[in-house]
Amino acid sequence: MKRYLAIRVAVMPLLLLGIASIVFIVSRLTPANPLVSIVGERNLTNPTIVAAAKARWGLDQSIPVQYAKYMKNLLHGDLGTSFTTRRPVLSDLWDRLPATLELTTVALCIGVLFGVGLGVLAARHRNTLIDHVARFFALLGSSLPAFWAGLLVLYIFYSRLGWLPGPGRLDPRATEPGRITGFFTVDTLLHGDLKSFKAALLHLILPASVLGWGVVGIVSRLVRASLLDEFSMEYIKVARAMGLRERTIVNTHALRNALLPTITIVAFTFAFLLTGAVLTEKIFSWPGVGNYAVEASRKLDFPAIIGVTILGGVAFLVTNLIADVIYAIADPRIRLS
Amino acid sequence: MSRIAGSTRRSGFARRTMAVALAAAMIIAACSSDAKNTKTSTAETTSASAAGSTAGSTAGSTGGSTAAPSSGAALVIARGMDINSLDPSRAYCDTCQIFMTAVYETLIGLDPKDNTTLEPRLATKWESNTAQTEFTFTLDPKAKFADGTPVTSADVKFSWERLQGLQGSSSYLVSTIKTIDTPDPGTVKVTLSAANSAFLAQVNASYLGIVNAKLATTNGATADPTTDKAEPWFLANSAGSGPFALESYASGSELRLKRNDAYWGAKPAFPEVIIKETPQAVTQRQQLEQGGVDIAMQISSDVAKGMSGPDITVKQVKSFNFVYLALSPGAKGGEKLTPKVREAIRLALDYKGLVEVTVGGAGQSQPSPIPNGFLGTEGLSPPAQNVDKAKQLLSAAGVTSLTLDATYPSLNVYGVDFSTAMQKVQTDLKAVGITLELNPVEIAVWADKIGKDGIPVTMLYFAPDHTDPSQYAQYFGLLPKSQWQTWTKADAVPAETDLLDQAFAAQDLKARGALYTKLANAMIADQIIIPIVNPDLFLASRSDIKGIHYSTCCNLDLSRLTRG
Repeated sequence: MKRYLAIRVAVMPLLLLGIASIVFIVSRLTPANPLVSIVGERNLTNPTIVAAAKARWGLDQSIPVQYAKYMKNLLHGDLGTSFTTRRPVLSDLWDRLPATLELTTVALCIGVLFGVGLGVLAARHRNTLIDHVARFFALLGSSLPAFWAGLLVLYIFYSRLGWLPGPGRLDPRATEPGRITGFFTVDTLLHGDLKSFKAALLHLILPASVLGWGVVGIVSRLVRASLLDEFSMEYIKVARAMGLRERTIVNTHALRNALLPTITIVAFTFAFLLTGAVLTEKIFSWPGVGNYAVEASRKLDFPAIIGVTILGGVAFLVTNLIADVIYAIADPRIRLS
Repeated sequence: MSRIAGSTRRSGFARRTMAVALAAAMIIAACSSDAKNTKTSTAETTSASAAGSTAGSTAGSTGGSTAAPSSGAALVIARGMDINSLDPSRAYCDTCQIFMTAVYETLIGLDPKDNTTLEPRLATKWESNTAQTEFTFTLDPKAKFADGTPVTSADVKFSWERLQGLQGSSSYLVSTIKTIDTPDPGTVKVTLSAANSAFLAQVNASYLGIVNAKLATTNGATADPTTDKAEPWFLANSAGSGPFALESYASGSELRLKRNDAYWGAKPAFPEVIIKETPQAVTQRQQLEQGGVDIAMQISSDVAKGMSGPDITVKQVKSFNFVYLALSPGAKGGEKLTPKVREAIRLALDYKGLVEVTVGGAGQSQPSPIPNGFLGTEGLSPPAQNVDKAKQLLSAAGVTSLTLDATYPSLNVYGVDFSTAMQKVQTDLKAVGITLELNPVEIAVWADKIGKDGIPVTMLYFAPDHTDPSQYAQYFGLLPKSQWQTWTKADAVPAETDLLDQAFAAQDLKARGALYTKLANAMIADQIIIPIVNPDLFLASRSDIKGIHYSTCCNLDLSRLTRG
């Protein structure tokens, strides 16, 4: 297993370089003009301003030269400078990643907890009202567009009822806690600021619920289907024949096996959410990577686009690896090689 | 059969459950409106009684509503920030105008109440020669930067030469400066390469704010783009003499300004101003209604509807922004856009309908590319639809049916959704036999296309940088190598160049006005730029915020705002 892991880790940089190369070439070949986000559409025909901008951002060089320079810098850990934020892309990602990680982690917890719970409930009460309601709730989470669900919950719980705070990670007038981890819920606690901790936690509820609701749909359907498969197995019949309590059969025996395929899905979902929480971040003015990715794509901000893609690549590769390891731990029959 | 029946039953059950859930949610939300009104009045009472309590940056509301801030609390503005840089020589955006005005003072200010009267700021007086080629400014000896350094002529020279040298987006404003002389620390003498009676208006543009040369140079600022290293420093620091200084900036999140306690003029009311990244108009409204923010700046007409109550004030003001249609006879596929066909297109448009469809009637039609209210626009005839004449013109041009590519940037600017506007244009032109093939694209794709092949029919927007109409002639007029002359590949019109030169040389305001009227009419006759709507601006705020004015040069002057 150690050798397997070492090979997987060793191959990662090569895969990331490949991803960066593909994105670099594709973005440069796109019929679009990134100068519009640098000089503004009003200066696009001003030869002096355009020439200065091209020289500054290296766009006056041939694509092979740009590629060679970018790759050289990349190998030194330099992802370039964003056209739009005018900051190093690495710094931008470093600043925004904790916001996305915090949101994604809470969303995933909500998704897995409710998903597994609903899945178990639906399987145990197959074809009853409980099953139908659980499946309907799951279906709604998977099929409702995040922007619609986001606006709806904001309207109901923030604007009308006033039960929960609105967009952002904290109250608009609040100052951010000094960065330790970048997770506001953690940093406020570490600073001993309970009032801000409560605010940070409350601000997470709506966006994380909207994001997590989609995960509930995926997980609960998978758990339900897997559990139903397990229920038809011989060992479950034996357990029932032995007179074990239904709760013990489900929780101790069937669920453990049924959760195996869920591990892979959860890992992929986590990686997807890291770069895919775009709409939720937009609706809730959440300063994370998703928002950054949207702006980068819209403005054809080449360095930022490649930076986000590499981050996404890392997320998928790492979570995939972790899923494989957890799989092997959860099921001793599986050996990584 | 039974499976189908079962499936139908299930889907019927699902629909019923969904309907019940949504209805319940709506009922709860609707029932809460009364509670909300009560809460609002409670918040007001709380505000009055808590006026003496400590304000400032306290974290966290525990629910959706935020208690009304006390008089010394920070001012919070919700808007979609479009900041490209905070370096005064590179910044160029609407939010940048607000930032620049607050942090980097210009030599001349503008009274936002009338958007016309120039008023002293760093300069106490100014004069020009009769040829409009030399301008002399006398600096206020009391003026000093936030670090206490006096503002001198050397700072003005450094700031404008750096703006020229770095060739940032706003550098066109100083492109005619030939030399800047500093005979003494309190006097600046600017010599231009050609007459320019608009120069004082350009000096008033927020992008011509003055930077503390010594501080900026220490942190890597130069006028040479190959050696200048100051942009990252300007993202975290400022070097101005304005009423505010940069406190912090988090891209995509917030911009914080703190009061410049060493400000040499009248101190602003707010100790801190926070501009929060809030792109959606709906969210801006919600946050304003809940008391989370004090001002919402990008409320569209449809979102503004229904905003009322004692806590909220919505000001509908005339803006100088507009959205326009551009016709390019030189574009690939635009060859048939002869002057007659272009005039037919102009006559085929239902202008009142366009204002109604795009901004719900909250705006005006605009006769020429120089917006209503600018010098020279008085008395211009508003555009009018004449479908019969349009058909006659097309018939005379030998055009029976015409299909044109209409690629446009997929934008929503000033509350105008370009797709909605283009669909209305498409419908109007269909009535005279012209078919538009609508093709919404990202602006980067649009920019590539218009720069290469041109686009026969497209749509774009414009907001002014200063108060002089010359900026419109330079951008929209068919002057050699103007933006739209280049893009449309239409023949240049020498008469427009002559008119602009005369306007630049004229000293008398009335004479300049007459020349700009002629220029406006000439641009209407070009039939290249057809303004379709001049949308009103909705400035929504908490009712206790006073002093909100829309300014041509500066968007919103934060130093004039007060609470209570």
